[in-house]
Amino acid sequence: MNGYDLLAALPAAAWSEICLRRLDELAIRLIEHAARHTSPALSQRLQEEWLADLAARAGRLSRLRLAAGCWWAANVIAREYAVTGLAVAGPNKAVAYAPPQAPGFLSPRTVALVLIACLHLALIYFLSIGVANRTAKAPPPPIVVLRAQNPNRTLPPPPPLPPKFAHPKIDTIEPDIPIEVPAETQGPQNVPVDRSQQPNTSATPPKVDRVIGGPGKGFPNTADYYPDASRRLGEKGVASVQVCVDASGRLTSDPAITHSSGNSRLDAGALTLAKAGSGHYRPTIEDGRAVGSCFPFRIRFEFRD
Amino acid sequence: MGRRDRDVRISLQTLRVLDAFLENPADELAGADVHKCSGLASGTLYPILLRLESAGWFTSRWESIDPSSAGRPRRRLYRLTARGLAQAAEVFASFGRGVPA
Repeated sequence: MNGYDLLAALPAAAWSEICLRRLDELAIRLIEHAARHTSPALSQRLQEEWLADLAARAGRLSRLRLAAGCWWAANVIAREYAVTGLAVAGPNKAVAYAPPQAPGFLSPRTVALVLIACLHLALIYFLSIGVANRTAKAPPPPIVVLRAQNPNRTLPPPPPLPPKFAHPKIDTIEPDIPIEVPAETQGPQNVPVDRSQQPNTSATPPKVDRVIGGPGKGFPNTADYYPDASRRLGEKGVASVQVCVDASGRLTSDPAITHSSGNSRLDAGALTLAKAGSGHYRPTIEDGRAVGSCFPFRIRFEFRD
Repeated sequence: MGRRDRDVRISLQTLRVLDAFLENPADELAGADVHKCSGLASGTLYPILLRLESAGWFTSRWESIDPSSAGRPRRRLYRLTARGLAQAAEVFASFGRGVPA
């Protein structure tokens, strides 16, 4: 179980309580650490004084600010004072000033900036892993599975099926009087037809399943054979080329222009492209079998963005 | 003004601390009380309290309570000394403001 699973397993209320308790502990530890940073004579007094003021503060954020301020104050006091006996001193005890001590490796301002940066990083981290979202959203209600109390109980009978309606039988009444219909009103369907005079439809050739070939896989790109002069001059057009290929997709004869693009350079480019595509044509398929054939196809030279 | 008085740096924050005590000079205030009156952050407030106490303007003592029965830790109470009151009056008079008698 990784950290994300732990986050998901804990309910939002527990998470908030843990975070708030950690904030309180952080404030107390910060004050204790800050007090120890001052002179030994002052540290006990300042720690007790600051912890008492911390207890008087309402709101965890306010307490944390107080702790951070005490940490700052400890640095200032440690730098400005060298006090002896002030922690237990009475009001009349003498207090001596001392020159400011030499700054340490990190000045208080630098340490404060580092601390602020760390707090921001921690805030960003908690926001990124979704602590705020988890604590803000109430947990979904637990899914309660109710088991059947009496699994052997008999179910009520299903409702009766709707009645089926039978189509009523309609009896036709045969007319007693015979009715004669004139011959011209009977229509041409009753005229006898001489089948022998009709063309024999069975003589038509059988239909062949034929799929005309064309440029196939690996066929060269048109842009690679765009004539340079035409590209510079902005010429474009569509040329139709007739090619004859065998069953393997190779040219069996030189391709020919069947419909010019209107520009000789583009036609020449189309022929060059058609030749370069030998071996990459898709042959014509007849009844599921590749056969050699001739077919036209169009090559479009145009500019694309 | 003696040597120790010259070491008291009269800044705007120091004036706000003195102002909190001058509201009622006989009162004893803890650091949390001064924070409420002056609005100063603890990082600024406590060095000023110590500075003024070292200069003899303030005196301090522990609150005389039993922490176990009171349910809270004892506080450090600060009070203006007579000398501190005179010095504070002098400082505020230089800024054109009187102090309560």
